[in-house]
Amino acid sequence: MVVLAACLTVAMLAPSPGILISRQLAARAHLQVGDEVTLATEPQGGRTATFRVTGVYEPTPDPMRFTAERIEARLHLPDLVALAADGSDPGDAESIGRINVALTDPADTHAFAADLASSVPTVVVRPASDFRESDVFAVIDRFHVAISIVTVVGATAFLLALMLIRAEERRETVGVMRLIGISQRSLLSSVAIEGCAIAIVGAAFGIALALASERAINHYFQTRYDTALVFIRVTAAIAVRAVVVAAPLGVGAGIAASWTLLRRNVLSLFRR
Amino acid sequence: MTPLALAWRATRQYRARAVLAVVGVAVIGALLFDMLLLSRGLLVSFGRLLSAEGFDIRIVATQGFARIGIPESAALVEAVRRMPGVADTAAIAVEAGDAGVGAAHGHVTLIGRSRASASPWRIVRGADLVDSAPGAGCEAVVDGRFPSQFHADVGGSVRVLGLPGGASALPPIDCRIVGVADFGFSASGERTVAMTMDALQRALGTTHGADAQVILIASAAGADPNAIVRAVGRLRPDVRAYSNAEVVEQFNRNGFAYFRQISTVLSTLTTVFAFLLVATLLTVSVNQRLGEIAALRAVGIARHRIAAMLFWESALLVGGGALAAVPLGAALAVGLDRLLRQMPGLPDGLHFFVFERRALVVHLLVFGVTAAASAAYPAWLAARLPIAETLRREVVG
Repeated sequence: MVVLAACLTVAMLAPSPGILISRQLAARAHLQVGDEVTLATEPQGGRTATFRVTGVYEPTPDPMRFTAERIEARLHLPDLVALAADGSDPGDAESIGRINVALTDPADTHAFAADLASSVPTVVVRPASDFRESDVFAVIDRFHVAISIVTVVGATAFLLALMLIRAEERRETVGVMRLIGISQRSLLSSVAIEGCAIAIVGAAFGIALALASERAINHYFQTRYDTALVFIRVTAAIAVRAVVVAAPLGVGAGIAASWTLLRRNVLSLFRR
Repeated sequence: MTPLALAWRATRQYRARAVLAVVGVAVIGALLFDMLLLSRGLLVSFGRLLSAEGFDIRIVATQGFARIGIPESAALVEAVRRMPGVADTAAIAVEAGDAGVGAAHGHVTLIGRSRASASPWRIVRGADLVDSAPGAGCEAVVDGRFPSQFHADVGGSVRVLGLPGGASALPPIDCRIVGVADFGFSASGERTVAMTMDALQRALGTTHGADAQVILIASAAGADPNAIVRAVGRLRPDVRAYSNAEVVEQFNRNGFAYFRQISTVLSTLTTVFAFLLVATLLTVSVNQRLGEIAALRAVGIARHRIAAMLFWESALLVGGGALAAVPLGAALAVGLDRLLRQMPGLPDGLHFFVFERRALVVHLLVFGVTAAASAAYPAWLAARLPIAETLRREVVG
């Protein structure tokens, strides 16, 4: 009796096992480190166990689940098994859903997966890089590129129209320059340089606008979905790509718009 | 001469820039039209897929739609079948499996269906599953691409083995293919074999009935699906019942957010873009034609007619572009939809861009407002032009 009482006392005095809870759960349930919580695996509150909150964590941002509320808790595996395993099935306490393996040499991933799959045929072994979520983002990336191309085509038409108006405005100036002997090549070069400058300034303005709005857009969506996920990131590669696309378009639009003036008879530029 | 005729003359006079402006508006308009189609496309398409199944309520084990078995599903199906307002029920179990025909074999999705008057798939060839006595021969309905991949069509047979845990040493069972069906929610790369729940149980090698993961309910004509949902909730508080409208709403909240956001952002941007560019073109064009406009005013054409002319010019440019944008946008939507449908695991029948009359009306309204707004500043500029001073400056200049 004394031993039993001692065991019971020890069990009652033993601290509850620790768990980590997500920041979102802590905020919603007004929990903080040190609080004791009761978790249940059944909606009606059956099969419960008490735990102590030992930490609050920020869930790893997951683009596939950014709209989901991250109401999560992390338990030690034995605690989870003790809480959730089906008592009528002895094998259930021995089963887990997934084992994550980090290799010392990541280059061995596929060889390791093949070896393990052949030696333990009842498990499915897949390199993390093969998970199909990456395919989803490759498709979304292609979708964004397609939309960018359409936007650039539309913008080019407008740029061409504006350059045409601008060329028309300078018809007499061009006529005078041709009369005083400035060659067509020089005029064309000046138009090309001007078009290039306009396109680069336009692209730079676009990049500045993107950089300025980057924080605001990320802040809006991060607040809206309560996530640390970064939605927009203006990288140097993207900025360079914008300039590389814009510059030839500006040059092309400038030359195309001026070409009609340059190939005309010089007197016709003065409406003579 | 009417303001429209004057605008038409001006547009024809500056033909090249007008054509370029119309092309620009058409391309940007096509993008706007597509974003309007995208804004509700998935929802409409998803709703249609759900409706096509012929059932308007579904019961699942947990919140969300993870494939988890519903405990004691057979008893629940019987209880639901007796509820007032319920016309039909079908319990569905989905498992991974292997199928083989001769030398051809591969992974398939096995679907088990309980006794029901109808199936949640559409038969395109052959016949549907017939409810037979337990232990009767296995009949199977396969998806449309199965016959070409496995070289087996209606009347042929297929060996089927359930692999719920990834591997099995059990022998496969033989099934006779009785029909080919369109499984709305199957992915394009997914091969599907549907059979009765009893046959699926044999393919899985289990002795007890397989737990259904979804129970579909068709409500009777005139019955309120929400009342049935509430009744199921009272009967079994541990499961979740959703009407189709609730499923679509949940999809709208969780699965669809990205495309709704991008469509809102791009619609706004394209509208602003179109406004800025048409307004710039018209303003520059008016500045270039100040002498011409002053001359028109000098010969007695009233301010409001000059303003109306500029509004008509804007309407011709934006309207022409907006109309051309509709067929262009439709063609672009086909390409973009094909591109997005390359996402893995996407149901075959799900589309991102779905035409709705509402999208066309919004598109035309947005461009109507854009045309009016774009012309406002140039019209104001032209209306307050000092006639004599402008003419003198133009002539001296």
